[in-house]
Amino acid sequence: MATKAQIQEEKVFQNSVAMTVTLIAFGMMFATLFLGYFLVRANAAVWPPVEIQNMPKLLPFLSTLVMGLSSLTYFKMEKSESQRSLYWSLTFALGIVFLVLQWILWAALKEKGILVSNGNVPSMVIAFTWIHAAHILLGLIALLWLGKFVLKKKEELTVIKLMNVGKFWHFLGVIWLLIYLMMFVL
Amino acid sequence: MAFLEQHIHDEPKTFVSKYLISYDHKVIGKQFLFYGIFFLLVGGLMALLIRWTLAYPGVPFPVIGNLLFPHTGGVVPPDTYAMLFTMHGTIMIFFAITPILIGAFGNFCIPLMIGARDMIFPTLNMLSFWFSMASGALLLISLCLPLGAAAGGWTSYPTLSTTLGSPGAGQTLWLLSLFLFGASSTMGAVNYITTVITLRAPGMDYFKMPLTIWGIWLTSILNAIFVPVLGAGLILLTFDRVFGTTFFLAGAAATSGKGDPVLFQHVFWIFGHPEVYILILPAWGIVSDLLSFFSRKPAFGYKMTALSLTAITILSTVVYGHHMYTTQMSPLLTQSFMTLTMLISMPSAVFFANWLGTLWKGSIRFTSPMLFSLGVVFVFGLGGLTGLYLASTSIDLYLHDTYFVVGHFHYTMAASVLLGGFAGTYFWFPKMFGRMMDEKLAKIHFWATMIPLNGIFTGMMMMGWAGMHRRLYNPFIYEFTQNLIPLNKFVTYCAITMGLVQFIFLYNFFKTIFGKNIPQASSNPWEVGTLEWTIPSPAPHYNFKEIPHVKCGPHELGNPNLTDGKDFQYQTEELVKA
Repeated sequence: MATKAQIQEEKVFQNSVAMTVTLIAFGMMFATLFLGYFLVRANAAVWPPVEIQNMPKLLPFLSTLVMGLSSLTYFKMEKSESQRSLYWSLTFALGIVFLVLQWILWAALKEKGILVSNGNVPSMVIAFTWIHAAHILLGLIALLWLGKFVLKKKEELTVIKLMNVGKFWHFLGVIWLLIYLMMFVL
Repeated sequence: MAFLEQHIHDEPKTFVSKYLISYDHKVIGKQFLFYGIFFLLVGGLMALLIRWTLAYPGVPFPVIGNLLFPHTGGVVPPDTYAMLFTMHGTIMIFFAITPILIGAFGNFCIPLMIGARDMIFPTLNMLSFWFSMASGALLLISLCLPLGAAAGGWTSYPTLSTTLGSPGAGQTLWLLSLFLFGASSTMGAVNYITTVITLRAPGMDYFKMPLTIWGIWLTSILNAIFVPVLGAGLILLTFDRVFGTTFFLAGAAATSGKGDPVLFQHVFWIFGHPEVYILILPAWGIVSDLLSFFSRKPAFGYKMTALSLTAITILSTVVYGHHMYTTQMSPLLTQSFMTLTMLISMPSAVFFANWLGTLWKGSIRFTSPMLFSLGVVFVFGLGGLTGLYLASTSIDLYLHDTYFVVGHFHYTMAASVLLGGFAGTYFWFPKMFGRMMDEKLAKIHFWATMIPLNGIFTGMMMMGWAGMHRRLYNPFIYEFTQNLIPLNKFVTYCAITMGLVQFIFLYNFFKTIFGKNIPQASSNPWEVGTLEWTIPSPAPHYNFKEIPHVKCGPHELGNPNLTDGKDFQYQTEELVKA
């Protein structure tokens, strides 16, 4: 007869496998977008092209900071049982702040004349941030679901739930970092 | 569901919980099977409409022509023709073959053949089916739109698929439908991969798994990696159509800015070539098992076959460029892609030789699953060899977009997979429904399918070699193609015959499920030893009363040391040695 600990260990392994496959699938989608970006960039006569020469710098930097912080608070939530509710709230709030910053970023891009209709490079900048934001929205829904267990049904909160949502959230952080570095810094 | 706590759940009692919103992998497998057969009929009808137009341009389609195209007196109009070949390809690839080979056999076979009680994530499994239902519904709805469904080819290259080439919502619905399909496939892939890794019965090493499971598992890996690539392309194309981005619009097609239509081709074929293997790997796996079962001897070079399938899976990810030789890519790239594509023929030759080795000196039982498996050996041989022509850059420049390509990929993707699907259906039918299909009808179905099938696809390759291009509404406006009209008529007659013959299968299939006085299947009617045949037919809802312990491989047949009158061993039995 298997012990509870053995079953738990096995479930963690199974979920790790499943989540790894899931993140590979999501990763491939973003990798394809990046591949397209590389192809366009490698074939461009001049970089940056005139359509994106006035890219805002501060807003994406702030977004990166917020995303990094939210990953940190999530990490603390996993570790600190006593202050789990606090760190969950912080992570969720930072997620919302990130989305607000993205909204402001899109407005700023529009103001500077960086529009989707101006070619594939501005299209990429805007569409990639849209796609990433849509995933952040999914992440926030997952966080809300997790919040049900963190705040109310504490006895049903399992390592697996924390681990799965956490992996997805950290993954989105890494993707944002890549978008930031490739599109706004390098 | 942890391996250590695979409980036996209560059997669902209501119609809804038993047949509609079911978590049971076997029911979901059957749901996918019915779904796939329905779309096979829709896609098949479209094929006949296409073939009729090519044999008799401007002549009304018989019997139902007036009903379908009242405004043209029953003649398929040119814009509808483009829609038909687009939807035929899309439906057959994504909504017929995928649900049958991966959805039905994947779901039905994986837990039963690895000794588990269900998939690891039953809810995700159910969601996967309902996502594909939504996806199929969207695609069918698009047929009813005022400007019709998508008409840019199943590859949907821009500019054909942008608002310029395809105005109206049909193409957008096509994109959304395929995106949903992708989500469904990815869910299935996560489930299949994890189930095979974590729920195999004790003793079921990777090299004791049936080759069917190898094929489906490798397919799932490709699905998880490459379907999201298509997803990315679909999203960007949707953005171009709906939000005015310019990823793929260039030149006169773009009102401002500049995009790159060829970029979509890269994205599409990075997915598209592995997709060929996504479709065919399960069929190869099934056939590899069935050839051994019905030759009554172990699969020749079992490990090498499994490793060859793995090598093909890996190589399939780096050959996509051979679909794009005509896009002015650098000669260095074309040569690299050509070499890599040719390289795939090596592992393919290995498992093909293993198939022949399995048959060699076997005590062959010509049952219906075996006949269809032998059919796969034949048609895949032809399809595989003709692929070598297209891998070669210099020959492909001439053959690109001709009917030679159509014949080739139908031999590999359609004929092999279809025959493999029939082999699997006849083989696992007793375990699915607890009854035996009529063998006589099944054998008639085989021969009556096999002969016209070869007429169709060989004919297509011949007309392609003669220079006839695909996707032309009336190719015979060119003088050089006019002498191909008789050949086109022959191919069309073959297609009509093959289409009609499928009613034999449908009759046999539905009569056996719903008919009265049908003989019940024994638990092991084919006398093979894999785990699903150790339990009653139809498989009970919990699969195994006790989780089995695997002690030998899946193909222990014809062992001369067996003394109890049977010529096979169950995987749960110790291997009998001298």
